[in-house]
Amino acid sequence: MSRTRKGALTRAETRFAVFSLTPVMLLFGLFSLIPIVWGIVLMFYEYNPLNLHSPFIGMDNFRRLLHDEVFLKSFRNTFRFVAIAIPANIVLTLSIAIGINQIRSRLWKNTFRTLFFLPVVAPIAGSAVVWTTMFNKDGMINIMLNMFGLQSVNWLGDPVTAMLSIILMTLWADIGYNIVIFMTGLDAIPDVFYEAARLDGASGLKAFRHITLPLLSRTSLFVLIMTTISYLQMFPQFKIMTNGEPRNETRVMALDIFDNAFTYMNMGYASAMAFVLLLIVLIITVLQIRLGRSGWEY
Amino acid sequence: MSKKSNIPYVILCLVLAFGALLMCLPYLWMVISSLKSNLEIISMQPKMLPESPTFSGYEKVLTDAPFMRWFFNSLVTSVCITVGTLFTSALAGYVFAKFRFFGKSVMFIAILATMMVPFQVVMIPTYLIITKLNLVNNLSAIVLPSLVSAFGVFLCKQFIEGIPKDLSEAGRIDGAGEFRLFRSLIVPQITPVLSALGIFTFMAAWNNYLWPLIVLNEQNKMTVPLALVFFNSRHAVNYNVVMSAAVLIMIPVIAVFLIFQRHFIKGLTISGLK
Repeated sequence: MSRTRKGALTRAETRFAVFSLTPVMLLFGLFSLIPIVWGIVLMFYEYNPLNLHSPFIGMDNFRRLLHDEVFLKSFRNTFRFVAIAIPANIVLTLSIAIGINQIRSRLWKNTFRTLFFLPVVAPIAGSAVVWTTMFNKDGMINIMLNMFGLQSVNWLGDPVTAMLSIILMTLWADIGYNIVIFMTGLDAIPDVFYEAARLDGASGLKAFRHITLPLLSRTSLFVLIMTTISYLQMFPQFKIMTNGEPRNETRVMALDIFDNAFTYMNMGYASAMAFVLLLIVLIITVLQIRLGRSGWEY
Repeated sequence: MSKKSNIPYVILCLVLAFGALLMCLPYLWMVISSLKSNLEIISMQPKMLPESPTFSGYEKVLTDAPFMRWFFNSLVTSVCITVGTLFTSALAGYVFAKFRFFGKSVMFIAILATMMVPFQVVMIPTYLIITKLNLVNNLSAIVLPSLVSAFGVFLCKQFIEGIPKDLSEAGRIDGAGEFRLFRSLIVPQITPVLSALGIFTFMAAWNNYLWPLIVLNEQNKMTVPLALVFFNSRHAVNYNVVMSAAVLIMIPVIAVFLIFQRHFIKGLTISGLK
């Protein structure tokens, strides 16, 4: 108890703090901070590890991006994917969560939750491989179409259906996560609200609109932000199921960055692309938090 | 319950049951196709069910590919990452929560800020660092960059802050060393968080595809998800073989999940909403 100032550390405490934090911060610096800074520096260089020289080229990488047809397409594809998959995900998961929460038998409630959650724990690369064979010309989905007398569809090869197929697979693979989060959010709403509403003669849709939605807005905002961040960076199913084909219809930014960095080894250029992705993630997240906060006044 | 709510309730159950069935279809397809023979796969009239189920697909996987090797690679790297992350998160979380020192808030904010950065930004320089360290095609290239988790540090700090200070003061009066204090007073208090963090770290490590794809390209060094895709590209025509491999890879994950299910879902809500 030889403390002079309140909160000042003793020698033993200081030694412990330094000894335990130093290795952690070193690892963190080497594999998080340095890569971020290096990534930001790289985007001003024409860096290719196979070349002898990597000249500083200022903003040239960004100028090149503006005229890169493939990049612009991947930019649009990313937004197309996000614009369809995220609303579909939220609507589906919220309705399924509400549905499962209505189930009276505990056993069935848990069974349903488990069945919807199961794909989340499976390796997504494995799921992508399974779904690729399902979408094949003699895969499960076409076999089922044929059973109903319908024509086979070249799901992953047709520019019209390729993105849709990947969205379907993505929804299957991770709706379970949001369902569980929404179910917890729903459980946290006290029953008294619904009882009061029923006494006032409001139930069903009305109760949903005026009780469930507002009281769930925190959970919804969390779900929306996390889903957006993860979908903007989605990679495995695009790489495995179509590799960007047909005609770059399913080439998203994450895939384009990967190819530029590790197939063509244009790492400076790929870093510039990655920086654009970082900006998009930041802007969208900040916007969502802003808009979400305004809805919290209750 | 009143009788008027019965019909909608039955409809709800049916809709949910149908949805759950749809969720199971890919697994069914996976198991069914793994039992088909090569002949059936290339026949002109594709059918849902195998006419004469065989295990030839499984045989081919287990004899043709270093399957146990892949499994071992995944297990070793995932266990190392999980143990490392738990240790660094708890320790750093404790120091950030209970000690005051110069530069603490700057360091902590730096850690938080990295959570927002997409992996696409850091993967290129991290690959260059791994190349400089001469670790390409080495399993430690998978482990090293994942030993510190910004999210884990954040999570542990939040929970440790909630532990009353008197507790550690009491330990100090007893003359316990700082590390023993941490191990015997702090760690037991945060086991729920640690188990949640452990489950998710392990799952993320086991399922990771992008980073192994960048740093591993030798067949013997591959982890399970990477190997499956590699295997798929070699046997794309005989998808019964690929589906057998998929079954062998998915079943353990699903089995582990079903056993630890309760911890799993609880962990998800702890780490997601706190």
